Amino acid sequence: MRSQTNLLVPLMVRSCMRESQRLSGCTSKQLLTVSDKNYDSVRPMGILGFSKPSEWNKVVSDAERIVGYPTSFLSLRCLLSDELSNVALQMRKLVGTRHPLLQTAKDMIHDGKHGLQTRGLIVLLLSKAAGPAPGMDVTEHDMVSGIFPSQRSLAEITEIVHTANLIHKGVVNMADLMPADGAPGDMEFGNKMAVLSGDFLLASACTGLADLGNTEVVELIAGAIGDLMEAEFTGFTDKHGNPTLPASVTFSDWLRQIYLQSGSLLARSCQAAMKLASHSTEAQHDAYNYGLNTAYVQQLSDDLAAITKGEYSDIRMTAAPIIMLQEEKPDTAQALLHQDKLNMKQIVSELHSSGLVVECRKLCDDYSTKAVSALTSLRPSDAKTALINMVHAIRRI
Amino acid sequence: MAASRSRLHVLLLSCTRCSAVRLGQPLLFDQQYRTISLSRSSTFQRCFRTIRQTTCNQCLDHRLQSSPRQQELFQIEPSRAYHISSSCSGSSRVESSNDAAVQDSYRLVESEMSTLCDSIRHELSINQGELGTIVRYYFDGTGKAFRPMVVMLMAKACNFHQQTEQLISDSQRNIAMITEMLHTATLIHDDVIDASDSRRGKDSINLVWGQRKAILAGDYILSIVSTILARIGNPEVVSIMSQVVEDLVRGEFMQLGSKEDENERFKHYLDKTFKKTASMLAASCQSVAVLGGCNDAISHIAYQYGRNLGIAFQLVDDLLDFVSSEQQMGKPTAADLKLGLATAPVLFAAQQYPELNPLIMRRFNQEGDVETARSLVAKSDGIEQTKILASEHTKEAVRLLQHLTSSNVQQALMRLTQELLTRQK
Repeated sequence: MRSQTNLLVPLMVRSCMRESQRLSGCTSKQLLTVSDKNYDSVRPMGILGFSKPSEWNKVVSDAERIVGYPTSFLSLRCLLSDELSNVALQMRKLVGTRHPLLQTAKDMIHDGKHGLQTRGLIVLLLSKAAGPAPGMDVTEHDMVSGIFPSQRSLAEITEIVHTANLIHKGVVNMADLMPADGAPGDMEFGNKMAVLSGDFLLASACTGLADLGNTEVVELIAGAIGDLMEAEFTGFTDKHGNPTLPASVTFSDWLRQIYLQSGSLLARSCQAAMKLASHSTEAQHDAYNYGLNTAYVQQLSDDLAAITKGEYSDIRMTAAPIIMLQEEKPDTAQALLHQDKLNMKQIVSELHSSGLVVECRKLCDDYSTKAVSALTSLRPSDAKTALINMVHAIRRI
Repeated sequence: MAASRSRLHVLLLSCTRCSAVRLGQPLLFDQQYRTISLSRSSTFQRCFRTIRQTTCNQCLDHRLQSSPRQQELFQIEPSRAYHISSSCSGSSRVESSNDAAVQDSYRLVESEMSTLCDSIRHELSINQGELGTIVRYYFDGTGKAFRPMVVMLMAKACNFHQQTEQLISDSQRNIAMITEMLHTATLIHDDVIDASDSRRGKDSINLVWGQRKAILAGDYILSIVSTILARIGNPEVVSIMSQVVEDLVRGEFMQLGSKEDENERFKHYLDKTFKKTASMLAASCQSVAVLGGCNDAISHIAYQYGRNLGIAFQLVDDLLDFVSSEQQMGKPTAADLKLGLATAPVLFAAQQYPELNPLIMRRFNQEGDVETARSLVAKSDGIEQTKILASEHTKEAVRLLQHLTSSNVQQALMRLTQELLTRQK
C-alpha cells in the first residue's frame, strides 16, 4: 500500500501543476517564481524563460500532435520507480535551502514544454519525417504514428541523459557553502539525493540503450555523455558550475563549448534515430547537422535575448557576443570585463555600438539556414514542416 | 541447533522445475524473475529460456549429466558447515595460503594484469586537462584489482573449455578493464555519498577537487566504459553489462532504507549485497564466457560462479569490518556501523540479542550504539554464522567450476575461491 501511494506522487504533482496552469491561464514561469539567480548553470540552457509563449507553444503543440505524444517523454518507467518516488518524497527536506536539486526538480515538473523536453521532440519529429529507410521491409504494425518504438525509446533516453546531467551539475561543494545556502546537513542530504537520482537516471539510460540492441547507437550516446562532462572542465564554468569567461578565449572555443554542452547530445541523438531506421550514412550525417546547428541557433538566440532585452542579470559572461568582444577588441574587453564591479549597462552598449549584436544575429540566421538545409533530402511532410518551424521559432525568440 | 535451523530458514527455497525445497540462493530466484520482467529484448528472451530450464542447480546438473556428488551441498547440516569453515580459519598458516592462492592465480594472468592499469590510463587519457587528471587519479597501480583478475582467469578457463586454447581475446580483456573502471567510478560516487575523505591510501577525489567535480568525473568514467563496451560490438554483452550499472544504483538506494521485519531485513541485505558487489562479478564472468563462444549453459555457470563468489567476497568483507584492525584493512574498521549499515554479523547477532533491533532501526545513530553493537556481535556467533553463509557460497562457486574442463586456470580459480574465506584484508 505504501509503495502505491509513493508511486502516485510525481504524477499527482505533475497533473496538479498542469491543471492550475490551465485554470489561471498564466505561464509556468509566472506560476512558480523562484529566485534562482545563483543557479544559472543548472537552469536548462536555451529557450526556457525567454520565449514569446504563444508562438513557441503553438510550434511545440503542433509538433507533439504530429508525433502522437501529448506530454512528457521522460520515461514513465523512471518516473514511477520506487527510487525516484522516494527522492520526490524526501525533497521537502530541502525546502528552505538553496540546493540546486530543488530547482531542477521544479523545472522537471512545470517546464515540460519550454525546453527540457524539446530534444526528445526533435528526435521524434526527425524519425517521423525520415520514415523507414528505402527498401526496408516494414509493416504498419512495426511503427506507431510513423515512428519505430526504438526511436521513441531513444527520444526518452536523450531526455533522461540531459536531466541526469542537470541533476549532477547541481551537486554542491561542501567546503564552499555559505550560511545562506542552508544547513550543511541539509545540503549534504541534497547532494546525496542528487547523486543517487542522477545515477539512477543514467543507469536507466544505460539499460534503455542496451535494449535498443544496436551497439553503434550505444557508442554515439555514450560519447554524448562524455562530452557533457567535458563541458564542465573547459574553463567556461568555475568549480561551482557558474559561467566564467576563460582568458584568451576565441569564438571557436565558444563553438566547441556549445558542441560539448548541448550540440553533441542533440546531434548524436538525431543521427542515432536515423541509424535505428537503417538510413544511409548521408542521411545520418544530415540528421547530425540538423541537431548540431539547431543547438547553435538555440544558444545564440538565448545569448542575444538577454542582451537585447536589457535583462542584465540574465546575461552570462560566456555569451557569444561577449566572447567576440574579448576576441576582436581585447583592450576594450579588458577594460570592461575585468573590473571589480561589472557595469552591465556599459557592456551592453559597447556590444551594440561595436556591431557585435548585429554580427551575432547574422550568425544565428546562418546557423538556422544550415539547420534547415540539412533537411533538404527529406520528403515534404507535416513533420518536416514542424522541424523547420521549430528552428525558426527558436531563432526568433 | 534449533536456533541455527531457524536462521537458515531465510535461505530455503523451492525449485520451480523439480519442486524440491533446498538450502541455497534466495537471490538466484529474485534475480531471474526481475530480469524476466524487465527485459523485452530478443537477447534476453533467449537467456530467459535458459534460466527457466536451469532454475535449480540440481536440475542444471542433471541437464549437463554431471555426477550426483554435487547434491551434497544442499544437504549440508549447519553444524557441519560450521565445522568445515572453522577448520580453515584463523591461523597464520592459512593467511599465507590465501596469499599464495592469490599469487598463484595472479601469475597465470600476469602478462595481462601487468598492462591493465596502463591500458585504463590510456583509455582515460583522451582528456588532457583537469578531468583527465581526476579520472586517472585512482588508477595508480596500487589497487588490489581482484575483480579483473577473476574475470581474466574466468576468460582463460572458458576459452580452454571451449577450444582448449587459453589466450584471452581483446574483447575479454576489455571486459576485465571495464569491471575495474566501473568499480572505481562507483567508489568515487560512494565516497561523496558517505562523505569519505580517503580511498586507496590517498585523499579522496571529493576532498581534493570537491563533490561536484567528483560526481562529474565518475559520470565521465561511465561514459568511457560504455564506449569501450559498445565497441566490443556484441549487443548481448552490452545488455549483460548494462544491468550491472542499474544494479549498482538500486543497491545504493537499498542501502538507504532498512526493513522492520527481521526476515525481510536479511533478504534485503542479501539482495543489496548481490546488487552492489556480486552483480558485477556475475555479469563480467558471463560476458567473457559469451565472448569466448561458450553456449548458454556454460555462460550461465560463469554468471552463477561470479554471483556466488561476489556474495562470499562481500560477506567476508563485512565480517572483516568487525574482526580486523585498521592497519590491516587500510581503511577504518566498524566503518559500516558508523555509516548506519547493519551487515550479516549484526543481523545474525540480532537473532540472539534482540536488543540490537532498535539500534539497527535507528541506524546506530545514538551515542554508544556502535560500541554496543560491536560487543554484542563479539558475544554472539554472528561472525561464525556469516562465515558459514560465505562458505556456502564459495562451495557453490567451486562446484560450478567443476563443469568447466579441468585446467591449471580452473584449478587456480577454485583455490582462489576456497581461500577467499581466509583472507585477512
